[in-house]
Amino acid sequence: MSTYVYGITAGSHPKLPEGVDGVGDPPRAVRVIKEGELAAVVSDAPEGLRPKRRDLLAHQNVLAETGAVGPVLPMRFGSLSPDDAAVAGVLAERADHFKERLEALAGKVEYNVKASHDEEAVLHRVMAENPEIRALTEANRQAGGGSYEQRLRLGEIVVAAVKNREAEDAVEIQHVLEPVAAAVSVGPESTGWLANVSFLVDRESAEVFINAVEQVRKSHPYLELRVNGPLPPYSFVEPGPSPPAETRTED
Amino acid sequence: MTVVPAQHTGGGGGTSGLYDVLELVLDRGLVIDAFIRVSLVGIEILKIDVRVVIASVDTYLRFAEACNRLDLEAGPRRSPGLPDLVGEITESGARGKSKGALSGAAETISDAFKQAREEGQTESRPRPRKSTTARRKEEQE
Repeated sequence: MSTYVYGITAGSHPKLPEGVDGVGDPPRAVRVIKEGELAAVVSDAPEGLRPKRRDLLAHQNVLAETGAVGPVLPMRFGSLSPDDAAVAGVLAERADHFKERLEALAGKVEYNVKASHDEEAVLHRVMAENPEIRALTEANRQAGGGSYEQRLRLGEIVVAAVKNREAEDAVEIQHVLEPVAAAVSVGPESTGWLANVSFLVDRESAEVFINAVEQVRKSHPYLELRVNGPLPPYSFVEPGPSPPAETRTED
Repeated sequence: MTVVPAQHTGGGGGTSGLYDVLELVLDRGLVIDAFIRVSLVGIEILKIDVRVVIASVDTYLRFAEACNRLDLEAGPRRSPGLPDLVGEITESGARGKSKGALSGAAETISDAFKQAREEGQTESRPRPRKSTTARRKEEQE
């Protein structure tokens, strides 16, 4: 039977989550495989595991519980090893690397920030900044909405202006929050938000980070900011400095 | 010194928090080549959201109309948050966008997360009943 791996931690971790509910229905019990100074948090892997809500939550919960009392390297969801012995083998083989990462991430947590525009507010803003948009809007209104071509032209200019604002705001959010974080990782791109950035933050000084986010909220009322954390450091398990304002590509 | 609250989530509940960090759980985290990964068919749902600005004729027309409806006199520095109008614009936008973009597999995941968010409110119950979404899905299978 294959083994589901949640994360890797130090063998000396003060409270390993043994017996906690893991993935599967019924939930498989979490157990610990120790090897040298390291430990892997695992459970039996259920047959036909898929990224279902229950299982994603279980993965996240096990890691949150482990990470709350000591550093953990979270695995990406759905990592399966042929058996426990293979897990121990990986721990032994890459012990130095894992230990270095655990040390680097000790006392640190991830906060993920997603931003989008409040549509009406950002339209007000681009209109205020752009006389051409104001003029075209006014002309269309007076023409009872405007012709198809006129509306298309206005829309095109507005969309371009909104996109510009999105790009500028994404850079600015990162610029403002970077100084209060230990590292930055730009999250996977998606059309749902204009910025998706993870910050590695000292657990002890998380308050400073949260306050900085609040400042951005106040100074940019047309932005909708969603903050999630503290999270296991999903975005910071790989070594090396995070690239500044560019999207990182993996795989 | 004040104590930092344990969890900051955009939506408030535990499962809506999960929804917000879904792409981290699925797309970040440690990958070890000696391990295999389960199939992730259906995560295209991550690409779909209500506040999408895509360059298309539909989008241009929608934005042109949104401009027409804006009250210019209210001025740009007016604080945002007239919920009625904002809601109307984003909702009608969402319907146009999501349609057709959802594949069958993505819909399944979408349902799972809709269900997650609904059940998030009843989490304290020991064993939440299956939602109608889940039942309907089973009947189809």
